[in-house]
Amino acid sequence: MNNCDQFRELLEAYALGALDPEERAALEAHLATGCHDCARSVEEARWLVCQLAYTAPEATPSDMLKGRLMQTVRAEAQSHAEAKPQALPAKRYVPVWMWGLAAAMIVFMIVVTRNVRHLQDETREAEHLNAELMEGNHKLEKELAETKREAMIMMDPKSVKIMMPANGKQGAQLEAKWNAQLGVLVMGDKIPMPAPHHVLQLWLIPKDPKAKPMPSMMTWPDADGKFILLVSNPPDSMGNTKALAITEEPEGGSPGPTTTPIYVGGVS
Amino acid sequence: MPALQAKTQGARIIPGLHGLRICFFVSDVYYFKERKKPTLVMFLAAFTSRSPREVSPDATLLSRLLQKDVSAFEQLYDRHSRLVYGLVLRILQHASTSEEVVQDVFLQLWRNAAQYDESRGPFVPWLCTMARNRALDHLRLKSERQRRREDLPEELPSIAVAPEYEKALDDQRRAERVRALVAALNPQQKRAIELAYFEGLSHSEIAATLKEPLGTVKSWIRNGLLRLKEGLQATT
Repeated sequence: MNNCDQFRELLEAYALGALDPEERAALEAHLATGCHDCARSVEEARWLVCQLAYTAPEATPSDMLKGRLMQTVRAEAQSHAEAKPQALPAKRYVPVWMWGLAAAMIVFMIVVTRNVRHLQDETREAEHLNAELMEGNHKLEKELAETKREAMIMMDPKSVKIMMPANGKQGAQLEAKWNAQLGVLVMGDKIPMPAPHHVLQLWLIPKDPKAKPMPSMMTWPDADGKFILLVSNPPDSMGNTKALAITEEPEGGSPGPTTTPIYVGGVS
Repeated sequence: MPALQAKTQGARIIPGLHGLRICFFVSDVYYFKERKKPTLVMFLAAFTSRSPREVSPDATLLSRLLQKDVSAFEQLYDRHSRLVYGLVLRILQHASTSEEVVQDVFLQLWRNAAQYDESRGPFVPWLCTMARNRALDHLRLKSERQRRREDLPEELPSIAVAPEYEKALDDQRRAERVRALVAALNPQQKRAIELAYFEGLSHSEIAATLKEPLGTVKSWIRNGLLRLKEGLQATT
């Protein structure tokens, strides 16, 4: 603050422009340090110095001075006004194409969104179709494999033929072929349909008298009465099996026979 | 009262908006208190209650000047040209050169109205500072090269808004007060201040002119200015 006191005496003369160069330089260096109080005092001193203007006797300048000034000012105001209208339409024009662009973008977005959705639908349909085809293909392959196995069982000389006559019914009879490697194939013609909601189930009757019949595959004859049943992996070997039997069982099969066998054939 | 004036002073630049805001505020209060619709009388009351001193006419004219309003310029010239010309003539003592300087000052005001900023101080001191600087430049600088430099718009230093003495008097009454206060100074103080202000002389130049010691001249100037300040503060 002592520092400031030393400069305080110079502030009025500084505002008046009366300081000699050394003192002015010293005060300006002090003000450059950011002394807020002194800067404010200088501004106040400047205001005070400005009041001295009133001590000059007022004088009226010539009308020619005003005439010259007003002429210049009017001409400049006119060229300013002429320059202005060019700016205005440009200002108004910008929003118009901006709006147009915005609208075009919205339309574009709608179209794109719709197309994408359409494409998605088509893709989903194609995937669905593909899955169906694959499923069908898989089914066909499986059927083909089964048919192949059936043919092999039929042709293989090592297959054992087992006749399964109908129990008490004339004509209709099944014929089984058992191949140790390929499985059991049961076939027959003109086989009557089981009762509604019933199937024909194959059983393996073991040689051991204490053992229970072992459940195997089940199926129906087709509309022509043709019956084909392929068991790729029979539950027991030919050596342990005394006979093959087929019973009529409720749909879904049973763990043990519930009816008297319709077709029975002894394994020799 | 000064607090209220200081508050309204802030809205000087947009007097129309300010008046409208007061008007709506008054009519709203009236509406809710009396449960009646605001009447035209309330609107008119809000406008006419605005005293002319609340909005500085110079500030209004200056804001119109930014829109290149010729009549605003003419009014500013009519209001201040006598003061500015008197000051310049007192410095230069030559009528046609003084008119040239006054023309420069007002043309700069017209072309660079945006340069004037209320935060840099009240308008009249700002205008007088610009006129004095230009006149002193004419007095000191004779070479054409240095004259050309003056054509560029100058950056003026900030002048404090001195609220008490700035608003206590209008321009005319303050001019009378300043003249009376300076006339009442010790003649040596007055002479030293005049040499500095109107002739742009420094402490040591004044000391040489008056053939007085430097320290004496310094204290004449400082004490004279402080007495003027005290006199102006006393008018509040």
